[in-house]
Amino acid sequence: MSALVDKALAGSGLTAVGESRRAGDLAKVRASVDELRNADLLALGALADRVRDEEVGDVVRVYANAPVDVADDVVHVEKQADGLSFLRAVAVARITGPRAARVRVDWTSCGLELAQVALGFGASELVGRIANKRGLVLADDAMATSAKKSQALPAQLVKKRELAGFIRRSGRRAEFVDAAGNVSTLEAGEETAALAAGEMR
Amino acid sequence: MSVLDSIRDKVSAKERLTFDDGVALFRHPDLLAVGALANEVRERMHGDRTYFNRNMRIEVTNVCVASCLFCSFAKLEEHSPGAHTMSLAEAWSELEQRMDDPPTEVHIVNGLHPGLPFSYYEELLTGFKRIKPDVHMKCFTAVEIHFFARHYGMTYEEVLVKLRAAGLDSLPGGGAEIFHPEVRTRISHDKATADEYLEVHRVAHRLGIRTNSTMLYGHIETFEHRVDHMLRLRDLQDETHGMQAFIPLAFHPDGNGMKNLPAPTAVDDLRTLAVSRLLLDNVPHIKAYWVSLTPDVAQIGLRFGADDIDGTIVHETIYHAAGSSSPQGLTYDALVRLIREAGRVPVERDTLYNVVREHAPNALPEAAMKVKDRKAARHLAVVSGS
Repeated sequence: MSALVDKALAGSGLTAVGESRRAGDLAKVRASVDELRNADLLALGALADRVRDEEVGDVVRVYANAPVDVADDVVHVEKQADGLSFLRAVAVARITGPRAARVRVDWTSCGLELAQVALGFGASELVGRIANKRGLVLADDAMATSAKKSQALPAQLVKKRELAGFIRRSGRRAEFVDAAGNVSTLEAGEETAALAAGEMR
Repeated sequence: MSVLDSIRDKVSAKERLTFDDGVALFRHPDLLAVGALANEVRERMHGDRTYFNRNMRIEVTNVCVASCLFCSFAKLEEHSPGAHTMSLAEAWSELEQRMDDPPTEVHIVNGLHPGLPFSYYEELLTGFKRIKPDVHMKCFTAVEIHFFARHYGMTYEEVLVKLRAAGLDSLPGGGAEIFHPEVRTRISHDKATADEYLEVHRVAHRLGIRTNSTMLYGHIETFEHRVDHMLRLRDLQDETHGMQAFIPLAFHPDGNGMKNLPAPTAVDDLRTLAVSRLLLDNVPHIKAYWVSLTPDVAQIGLRFGADDIDGTIVHETIYHAAGSSSPQGLTYDALVRLIREAGRVPVERDTLYNVVREHAPNALPEAAMKVKDRKAARHLAVVSGS
């Protein structure tokens, strides 16, 4: 993190909150929740991102069409009235949540665009349905449209690769969790191939 | 000292950023830090003020001789499926139908139609002014002006002088795409070059006609191409000072020759707004065009360097032909609410950024209030005599 972020935190009066968080004094952090709700959004996001980086790292867990667990360390941030309120809620959840919390957003409700931005505000898990452009959930055996039939790929795989690309472009790494709880990753650059398969966007 | 810290020092000292600084900002992993820098400049220039206007968009023809890869709007020939050219009466009726709540600006952008006489465009402008003499006509991109000059055998100055006499007030910024020839020759080889686009703006500025400028990003260009584009605009602005706003336009892939590319992501949208604000130190306004970005992302953009969100628009078709999921128009109250929710002060402007109305920062417009609050506000107004 650059000195610029330190200056932004100091300028917004968030340095002490950050230090309390790092020291594990959650009671003190949570006592400042009103302050957080009124802090400069980008400084708040920077603090949340710093907490996320220190406690969780770069991995983003993706539950696509998979049942999601509701463990104690999961903080699910609901869609808010507008995008800025949503990002603020994500950041506050990260800063005031349990240590290494799994801060989760649902792209089906907030949209992929906002979900991607939320990754910079402290979110570390994405959940949602893999659907086509009309919002219909894709069947397991559905194939993505392709100019050449022989090159067609399973639509869900194509979509996962796109998601991985989305996450990579926000500077993070994706891990996919399936219905049985198995975790998988996509090879770096694989998502690019999916784009050539078209349709899924 | 990190790259960003050194850029921060320059920004604080109001020093001009370089090409390398611009590329570094695009590549820097910390989006929020880049956004915070841009926000600092935005607030230094405009405070919390955020501009919008009452405008309407009309595309009178989508017949076009150019074959730009990114375009889902144009139909190459007059009678091909989906091609349309409005009669003058049809075009004028778009404004006539809105005279109960009239826009302050009519924004017209078209395809490059080879079969219309120049008088069509002159009469088009004259007719709008006849309906509403004080309406601002922001019409015809530099690419159209270049086409008119070639097609009707005039200089840029002759075209602009004739159109201004007919009612033209300013030029929109469309058609800039990406200036660098490595990209421009691949995505739009058969329309105005970068130099021609810039020359049209130069001539317009010399004649006292204000313009906007744009950049279509998120397709095959690199960050270096984006920075090169912005710096060419910055150089022109140093020379002429006639550019009012810069509008980064996000590429939309549906239904065009680049449909296999992904659209730029929200993170890219926000970063591009931020870098624009930081590099274009001589352009007064950076616009988060909600049609291109979606209202949600445009609203967030007001914290990443943008100070303008465009207008009510009413019926946009170019981006919607390319798959934009944004609504085709936003009401006045919806725009006010969008800006207020971002913690900014809504300022209705005219096209030349004269203030029409500055709203209070906190009060909601009546239409956005809950019914009980609306009644309470009316009661208060009656009691207080306001």
